[in-house]
Amino acid sequence: MRNALLIAWREFAENAKTRGFWFGILLFPLIWIVGAQVPALLDRKGTPTRNFVLVDRTGRLESVVEAALGMEERRRVSEAFREWASGHLLPGASLPAMAEEFEFEASMQRVRPLLKTNAGEFVTPPPRFRRVGLPPGVRDTGDIMSLETELRTWLKDGREFVPPEGGARVSLFAVTLLAAGTSSNSAPVLRFWSDNQADTALRERIDGAVSSEFRKQEYVRLGIDPRVVSRVEGSRANVLNLSPRKAAGEEKVGMADLLRQWVPSAFVYLLWVAVFSIAQMLLNSVIEEKSNRIIEVLLSSVTPVELMAGKLIGIAAIGLVMITAWVGTLFGVILWMAGTMSVGAPAGASAGPAAQLPLELMTLLGDSWILPAFALYFLLGYVLYSAVILAIGSTCNTIKDAQNYMGVIVLLMMVPLVAMTFIPRDPNGPIATALSWIPPYTPFVMMNRVTAGPPLRDVLGTLAMLVVFDALAIWGCGRVFRGAVLRTGQPASLVQVLRWMRGR
Amino acid sequence: MALELRGVSKRYGEFCAVDGLSMSVPAGSVYGFLGPNGAGKTTTLRMILGVVEPTSGSISILGHPSALFVRNRVGYLPEEKGLYRKMKAAAVIAYFATLKGMTRRQADFRARELLERYGLGLFADVKTEALSKGMGQKVQVLASIAHDPEFVILDEPFSGLDPVNQGVLEEIILDLRSRGRTVLLSTHVMQHAERLCDRVVIIAGGRSLFDGTLAEARSTVPPKVRLKTGDSLEALQDLGCIRELKPMGGGQWEVEMTEGSDPQSVLEACFTHQIRLSQFNATEATLHDVFVKRVGPAAREAAFR
Repeated sequence: MRNALLIAWREFAENAKTRGFWFGILLFPLIWIVGAQVPALLDRKGTPTRNFVLVDRTGRLESVVEAALGMEERRRVSEAFREWASGHLLPGASLPAMAEEFEFEASMQRVRPLLKTNAGEFVTPPPRFRRVGLPPGVRDTGDIMSLETELRTWLKDGREFVPPEGGARVSLFAVTLLAAGTSSNSAPVLRFWSDNQADTALRERIDGAVSSEFRKQEYVRLGIDPRVVSRVEGSRANVLNLSPRKAAGEEKVGMADLLRQWVPSAFVYLLWVAVFSIAQMLLNSVIEEKSNRIIEVLLSSVTPVELMAGKLIGIAAIGLVMITAWVGTLFGVILWMAGTMSVGAPAGASAGPAAQLPLELMTLLGDSWILPAFALYFLLGYVLYSAVILAIGSTCNTIKDAQNYMGVIVLLMMVPLVAMTFIPRDPNGPIATALSWIPPYTPFVMMNRVTAGPPLRDVLGTLAMLVVFDALAIWGCGRVFRGAVLRTGQPASLVQVLRWMRGR
Repeated sequence: MALELRGVSKRYGEFCAVDGLSMSVPAGSVYGFLGPNGAGKTTTLRMILGVVEPTSGSISILGHPSALFVRNRVGYLPEEKGLYRKMKAAAVIAYFATLKGMTRRQADFRARELLERYGLGLFADVKTEALSKGMGQKVQVLASIAHDPEFVILDEPFSGLDPVNQGVLEEIILDLRSRGRTVLLSTHVMQHAERLCDRVVIIAGGRSLFDGTLAEARSTVPPKVRLKTGDSLEALQDLGCIRELKPMGGGQWEVEMTEGSDPQSVLEACFTHQIRLSQFNATEATLHDVFVKRVGPAAREAAFR
């Protein structure tokens, strides 16, 4: 036992010194943090101002479009202002509610006394969309075809010009042409030219504004009051999402239930990454000793069983440190998100759904079996895979030999990753249940089902089966390991491996 | 006896790697374990170490039936050398010493002391991947003796070392002997065996071909005499101890004698028959000759197997 621990300690210490280990520890949290921030960041900073030309042949819709875009822009500035102000609030102060119609000057006057003296000035973010005049040399002679022909070259080449309104040089994002419909009561035509077909925001907004304006006209033309229409359109059936699993009086399904359904998948993914990154370490460690023939010296000092046990324990410790770090940072990020969100929310007002997310997540992790199951399935899954990998490593002399076998294993292991996407929809259905009873998949699939209340028969049955398979794997692979580890030359054949398993 | 093998055999299926090998290594001696490639040396060493089970026969090492019981009193340097590339020299030595039962503190101290003593003090904290091949090998030799074993098995310890470091290694081996340790030295460089060993065993094809002292080994090969004379050597033909007279040209002759005979008798006969010698050169057989004579045919066969 002493020797096994010595070996385990060396494995731990040496692997903890590798770059791979630290990348693994740091990369995951980094992905989480960045992942949590990027969408908002992109929304705010990532997209440059989109400059567009608008030519209106109807004579009415131009103002409609400008009003709609202007309204949205004011809302955006208002949000940015709120965020800026909440970052500079005096301790104990809270932001007052702001009017729908954001008036920058008025809001600034109301908010200023609540801010710290070093708050500085609020910088209005650059507008999301900006209408510019025609590029120099392009004249609207009334002929749409020739105008489009001229403008499309400006679009296609991304040529820059100083807009007639002045300011910095710009290039066109889109050209939009509005024309009346063919008859007096048909819908107007929007011709939207753009080299960027991925960013549909501008097109959708103009489309929305123009279409709703046309509908309004039509209602009037047909003698219907548009206000009545909008009231009628706004009504909805009362949908109540209920779950039979919950206590009487609390059957309403909320975000907590959605999380309960999908969060296990995240942990399955974590489990997968953890098992495989440390399996790689284990393989490297066996192959190093085999290819360097250190194995001979080791086996003159310790028994193969001690060697195997030492490696399993040492690398398991590495894995535990890694996933503890991951789960730890996950908690950290959640708490941090909860913190930043509650600052932004108006005092006294009930927190919005976004602000509730971290809290719900914490409650879920604290109350459910997710974390204990994660630790348990990590260990049981790890033992199963690492035993097989030790056996593979012992029969191969180089990483290259081993990669062939590993390829097969990784291929088989894609199943739980794919299953992860549909198991949450039917966690106790036939596919999930069947997969649970295939030992290499048990840890992942059962992890995926953990919050869905799987039948006790499944939980205990698969657990017992997994433990038995772990023992079998250690026993069988241990025999292969003992037989193969001193061999040199070409990798062992399957027949030879089976012979080792049978004990001769 | 520090080590005793009685009729030890090891079969892998049809193939017989070691075939009824017996040998006795007295405590406190340096024992040469000689044999061509594929003679079964490594298999025998692995059986002595208890890493591989013999198919039949018995082994007694330091008074125990298996090295598994006395692991911590045995040191082993395998033929193919390798170290953990990312570990520092002192750390590697200390690690192997702790596996042999030393405490971490003792092992650290001992590792640094050994590196210092054998000229590697400056490299104690260098990763082994940065060491030259020879230095790495020295580190490995030191790792095999760091726990001060009573019985040391060195498999081809000289390969890859330059002459200066071969000298250092010889010094290490002689140090071990002077402190009463037993060394089993496997090599096919006969000069080293000749300089270091008290006794040798020669094996080929898994069988022992010779087991005894160096002098006994030499006496198994007939001595040769080279002489130069202008006279006829006809008178020597009848001498019982001479097997063949080979003329080498220019009045030189090579005299092949029978086993165990004394070159002095040739000199005596020349004197009696008034053959005037301008040169007389009696060369004692070297271990090299013994080896080639003993294992020559077997070694060729093994090399092409």
